Amino acid sequence: MSNTMKILVVDDFSTMRRIVKNLLQELGYSDITEADDGNTALPLLKAGSFEFLITDWNMPGMPGLDLLKAVRADAKLAKLPVMMLTAEAKREQIIEAAQAGVSGYVIKPFTAQTLKEKIDKILATKVAA
Amino acid sequence: MSQPASLNARYRTTVDALQGALDAGNEAAFRQAFEQLREGMSAEFMPELKRITASAQEALRRFREETRLDALAANEVPDARKRLAHVVKLTEEAAHRTLDLVERSGPIVDQAARDAADLLEAWSAYPHRDGVGGSLWPERAHAFLERAVKDTDEVRGNLSEMLLAQGYQDLTGQITRGVIALVGELETMLGHLVRLSNGDETMRSLRALPAPVNDLSRGIGPTVPGVQDGGSVNDQDDIDALLKSFGG
Repeated sequence: MSNTMKILVVDDFSTMRRIVKNLLQELGYSDITEADDGNTALPLLKAGSFEFLITDWNMPGMPGLDLLKAVRADAKLAKLPVMMLTAEAKREQIIEAAQAGVSGYVIKPFTAQTLKEKIDKILATKVAA
Repeated sequence: MSQPASLNARYRTTVDALQGALDAGNEAAFRQAFEQLREGMSAEFMPELKRITASAQEALRRFREETRLDALAANEVPDARKRLAHVVKLTEEAAHRTLDLVERSGPIVDQAARDAADLLEAWSAYPHRDGVGGSLWPERAHAFLERAVKDTDEVRGNLSEMLLAQGYQDLTGQITRGVIALVGELETMLGHLVRLSNGDETMRSLRALPAPVNDLSRGIGPTVPGVQDGGSVNDQDDIDALLKSFGG
């Protein structure tokens, strides 16, 4: 997969957005856009040609789960790979995200290796599909 | 019955007796009349006093029942202390992690700077191949470059870990926001309690106080050890296993 993949990183904490952006750059991805919650992310997704979405769950405005559901409900965005990167750790929540069609789920705090592995796994699944 | 007529009926006889005893200088009679007056007033006001006391007790009981005061006192304030203690722990760990990485990187960079300076010094002798320092220059340069590749990899790795260590701000920020919301709720409730004690608050307005939102769909923030941690996964492996059961 080309490292020109267009990625949207959604998190209400600017520090976490910087961390994820830096890690993605280390992994070779350079086309990264940021948004601070679902309400700002959704118009960007609809207007842009993003190929990968990484989103937090607990955000003011539109939380990540609602963003995931909105993406899956939109005909143009439905197949977009969506990775949850969140501190939400209840089994019930992870099941809810799985049922809503999440492509990957990484719990905070995470390692660079875990982030890389999960992105690679999602992209490999996408290619195989 | 008009007010003056009512006062007359209640107090005229006793007041006359007081006046008579006073005029006659009869202390015993005066005391007896005064005691009658006092008993009469007590009998009149006691039911009202009891009613006010019962009403205040009932209001306080309902305040506790209807405003989550018990839940806040019994669970959420102690939980808030645990949350803040966890914030202290996370910030301390992140600071130590960052400082460890800085301390590990510093000597690597210092050594590389010393080696580069030595190599530069030897460079001046190299073109003429005069002296041991000069003749060994290519070998030293090669060894330096090999070390540089390894050392820069290590420092780059340390920088990445420092970057990740800053993730504490997101986690502690979410926990702290929860405690701020709790303090806000307590402030509102105490304000209502003060107004209730002043008699200018009604239970109807207390019932209108919004209940706190603890909605899993909106997210509840990081798991804090010892605070509603039932039903949480332990680590990334747990999540991977859970998602796998859903075909992920």
